[in-house]
Amino acid sequence: MRPRVALALALAAAVSGCASQTVYHWNGYDEALYRHYRDPAGREAWVEALRTTILEAEQEGRKVPPGLYAEYGYALLEEGKSKEAVVWFEKEKAKWPESRLLMEKMIRNAGQRPVQPAALTGPAGQLEKLP
Amino acid sequence: MSDRLRTRLLTVAALLAVASGCATAPPPKDLTRLVAAQPRSILVVPVVNDSVDVTAADYFLSTVPVPLAEHGYYVFPVNLVKRLLEDDGLADASLVHGAPTEKLAALFGADAVLYITIKRWEAKWILLSTQVTVEVGYTLRDAKTGAVLWEEHQTRQYASDSGGGGLIGAVVNAAITKASPSYMPLARQANVQALAYPGPGFPCGPYRQEYGRDYQPAAR
Repeated sequence: MRPRVALALALAAAVSGCASQTVYHWNGYDEALYRHYRDPAGREAWVEALRTTILEAEQEGRKVPPGLYAEYGYALLEEGKSKEAVVWFEKEKAKWPESRLLMEKMIRNAGQRPVQPAALTGPAGQLEKLP
Repeated sequence: MSDRLRTRLLTVAALLAVASGCATAPPPKDLTRLVAAQPRSILVVPVVNDSVDVTAADYFLSTVPVPLAEHGYYVFPVNLVKRLLEDDGLADASLVHGAPTEKLAALFGADAVLYITIKRWEAKWILLSTQVTVEVGYTLRDAKTGAVLWEEHQTRQYASDSGGGGLIGAVVNAAITKASPSYMPLARQANVQALAYPGPGFPCGPYRQEYGRDYQPAAR
């Protein structure tokens, strides 16, 4: 199995139109998210992976991938840490202008309605209702 | 047989030979609309799952942000997006896929929305081996008009090997593969191949140096 996976990765790198060196410091982000979905009870590992990846990237002068500040902020919001969450939503917004509208929404909502620590299912009604 | 008819038949035969020789290379896609739309950000919504494996949708979703962001686009945080939609009563991905793209995109401020549907995510006995298959469809839609900017379809497979020869080895390996198929490498390969450009994919986004320079119009 291992040689096959290695071969698949090499092939994948070869067919990719863009260069092989990654632009961002992912640090196994996709693996962490996969494990989070496979085992929702291991949520802490997911949050820790986000935190570590961001810290490592910043310390090593590598680029933090799009969305990571926001994902980490959201994880904090789920834990009821609205004030801390806002810090990370602000970072996402400052780094990625494309995220501005969503981040402003997240910041507004985090400020308005404190999320209960027990609300691990997530703060409801962050978005306007779809028709 | 007239000379004219003979020439025509020979031409047809020659064309058929050429066509069969390069039958694997599909015609280049028309990306005019995508290039004109100039999306900077892509909203990846939860994956619709037509397979019988209920875990496939979330697992597949986890493989999408890395190649897409590495392709140069701002990718909205997929887990946050998924949770917000769930909180909004849209836990069923097919509801999200069925909602108007323009309204969905406006909620997040996205330039384009990527819809992914898993067609197959399965491990099947075939003779003395197990065939593992991931088949997936991608549709990128414009946030302003809802028009399709790009479409792609990928099938990735592998079969368990003979286990060093012999009937027993093959059967044992097939059983092991059936019990724990490795879907994730196939899912990742599908994404990388789907996005490859030139190829089935589309040009790089604004966070790549190639942005604005790698586009090759399909009409030649």
